[in-house]
Amino acid sequence: MIDNKLKSILLSVQKPARYTGGELGCVIKNKDEVDVRFAFCFPDTYEIGMSHLGLKVIYESLNNEKNIWCERCFAPWIDMHQKMKENNIPLYTLESKTPLRQMDIIGFTLQYEMSYTNILQMLDLSGIPFYSKDRDESYPLIIAGGPCTCNAEPVADFFDIMALGEGEYLDVQICNVYDKWKKEGKTKIELLKELSKLEGIYVPSFYDIEYNEDNTIKAVTPLHDAPLPCNKAIIREFGNLHFPTNIVVPNIDIVHNRAMVEVLRGCVRGCRFCQAGFIYRPFRERDVDLINEGAMDLCQNTGYEEISLTSLSTSDHPKLEELLDKMDSWTHEEKVNIALPSLRIDNFSESLIEKTTKVRKSGLTFAPEAGTQRLRDIINKNINQDEIDKTAKLAFEGGYTHVKLYFMMGLPGETMEDIKGIADTANHIMDIFYSMPNRPKGKPEISISVASFVPKPYTPFQFFGQNDMELIKKKQEYLLECCKSNKRIKVSYSNADMSFLEAVFARGDRRQAKVIETVYKKGGMFDGWYECFDYNLWVESFKENNIDMSFYASRFRCYDEINPWDHINYGVTKEFLIREYERSLKCITTKPCNIECNNCGANKILRRACFEYNKN
Amino acid sequence: MNTIRIKFQKVGLASFFSHLDLQKIMMRALKKSKLPVWYSMGYNPHIYMTFTLPLSLGHESICESFDFRLNEELTENEIMEAMKGTLPEGIIITGASAPEYDVSEIKYAEYHITMHGNKEVLEKALMDYDNNSEILVTKTTKRSSKEVNLKNEIINMKIIEESEDSICFSALYPAGNTYNLNPSLLLEYFKNNYGIDTNSFNVLRVHLLNENLNILQ
Repeated sequence: MIDNKLKSILLSVQKPARYTGGELGCVIKNKDEVDVRFAFCFPDTYEIGMSHLGLKVIYESLNNEKNIWCERCFAPWIDMHQKMKENNIPLYTLESKTPLRQMDIIGFTLQYEMSYTNILQMLDLSGIPFYSKDRDESYPLIIAGGPCTCNAEPVADFFDIMALGEGEYLDVQICNVYDKWKKEGKTKIELLKELSKLEGIYVPSFYDIEYNEDNTIKAVTPLHDAPLPCNKAIIREFGNLHFPTNIVVPNIDIVHNRAMVEVLRGCVRGCRFCQAGFIYRPFRERDVDLINEGAMDLCQNTGYEEISLTSLSTSDHPKLEELLDKMDSWTHEEKVNIALPSLRIDNFSESLIEKTTKVRKSGLTFAPEAGTQRLRDIINKNINQDEIDKTAKLAFEGGYTHVKLYFMMGLPGETMEDIKGIADTANHIMDIFYSMPNRPKGKPEISISVASFVPKPYTPFQFFGQNDMELIKKKQEYLLECCKSNKRIKVSYSNADMSFLEAVFARGDRRQAKVIETVYKKGGMFDGWYECFDYNLWVESFKENNIDMSFYASRFRCYDEINPWDHINYGVTKEFLIREYERSLKCITTKPCNIECNNCGANKILRRACFEYNKN
Repeated sequence: MNTIRIKFQKVGLASFFSHLDLQKIMMRALKKSKLPVWYSMGYNPHIYMTFTLPLSLGHESICESFDFRLNEELTENEIMEAMKGTLPEGIIITGASAPEYDVSEIKYAEYHITMHGNKEVLEKALMDYDNNSEILVTKTTKRSSKEVNLKNEIINMKIIEESEDSICFSALYPAGNTYNLNPSLLLEYFKNNYGIDTNSFNVLRVHLLNENLNILQ
């Protein structure tokens, strides 16, 4: 319940419903009837965290267990943060309003590097020491999961363990090991040792890191029989894996306020810049009937009028058309709109447009990623100009007038010609619109959104030194110049300094933890928010700790250098990444891996071949 | 096609989301209920809902309602049954039947307002209010702001409950689709002149009334 003190605080902050819980579908259990209490912490606002499908997946898989109660907690926005500090209100879970300090396990999801300071914020508001070494058995076990754990070395010292890879089963296993340990009353080190035996558990303190004089890593030595390399956890039978159908429906509007189904996991494409495309390998798709029936339940349980078929590349589901036909039999009647957020240009069809726009028409977004064929070949985005043209035509014929295009700048091998190519691509699509006799009414609008490229671990571009900020800014200005002539083309791009910091962390190591601590203590948090991000604070704090930012972001890394993440195994091997990087230098593309196996290594984690290649 | 008025309470945790959020919550609840709800016939079919009187964020109410249309004739029981389990904590449905009055009849809303704090200060604030013939506050709308005398607006103000550190009074405020006065204006006045923390107030709407001060059911 909410007491008077909290109530009066809630009335003085923006969007108080962020902090109240009580939503439809939230799970309330009797605390005396459960063995393990788990707080799922999302180190960003309620509106961001509640839009995240992973939260819903873990929430349901943990709460399906009778002896576990999983509750939610989000980072309080700055106004609430201050009020909680002033009034000595500890951070609490939304379901039972229990202070985090009283939970058994606190699990943070690491979705993006810019949320790292908010981990400290949430620990701070809970009165929990930041560093794992400073916490004894009396504190909750602090764990991390999510994509950034593939190289979460910058925050490794804060966590007792990290759960690598897929969490549906692993998180339940962690709770069960914890339960047994708690009942036996053993020490923390014994708990960590026991947990390190689970596939997918990485105990940072069990790996000793030595450095060379030039600050590169000299050696990584496992302690206490910790595995080397440490493998990610994977769901081997994904096709029939159930997904959440009874989710928490927020009372306030959030970023993605709709039902979601993950139709497939992994990606066959191998775009060389894309971390998700490698760390979620291998590709596995869900059964069509399971998706259809689950989607129906989900809409029924939530009352949502939009359902999104999410994945890294939804049109790569081999039976997508069949699925849409099945869903069409009820979505139309129920006035539910189907959203396909991740379509590819090369297999986008007329019937797809027709099926997704029956109820309501939304905007259309495509990602050519680069402006010229040469650069698209370098990054292995296997699409060509004809396919882009064809897609634009189809979209316009389908009644769309607003097209959004995603690009990147700062890619390996990029020249000013390629930047101009971005503008040319947009102009070309505009020309297509006007050349069509059957074009839709109204004026076309093309938005181009350009992100600065951040090299990420486990991608072929992990070796590449990021473009410095001066160069990025020059490229941004040039792009604006190229687009100036057409007012119906709108350009937006990301902050160069934020992308630089992201690159520092993406390939960072353990020595950065103290910088994150310094920044937090100086008041920095919510760094992913433009209004909060203070680049100078970061520069100052890196300097204070004698750490060179460009050492992490801008330097080309030799193939034989030991990277901070090399002792962790996400499936794809370093040899494969080197091979792919070499091919990119020669502008050679690589086929999608459902057509031809590229020996990336992910099948070893799956323990079988990813595809039946002889079938076709 | 019949119009149905759902009567509900918005209390506890539900007082923390806005009127706009409430509309979306009700939309999803109707969808989840599987009731044969009438949709508008336009290009983007949507449920047609009219809320009787918006409630400010932070205030509670036991007399909320909204109207929507059904394609079939259903009993109150059938509708209430269908709506079970479709709403978040703090939204409680109390009735579902054909509207018994027109929204334009609403002229007043009765609020029960509880103030917490130093009893002497609270008593003085209310006493002064009683004795003054003019309590001027600034009412701001989207278009303009003007000064109003609360004494000419609020009627039938009386203390209904007291404890060691709180006073609860009831009062009728002008309400309806032509003119509205937010109870927060008086509370702001108390805050500015007596230092009573605005966030310590509990505001509960209990009745809607017509111009003859008869309660609208």
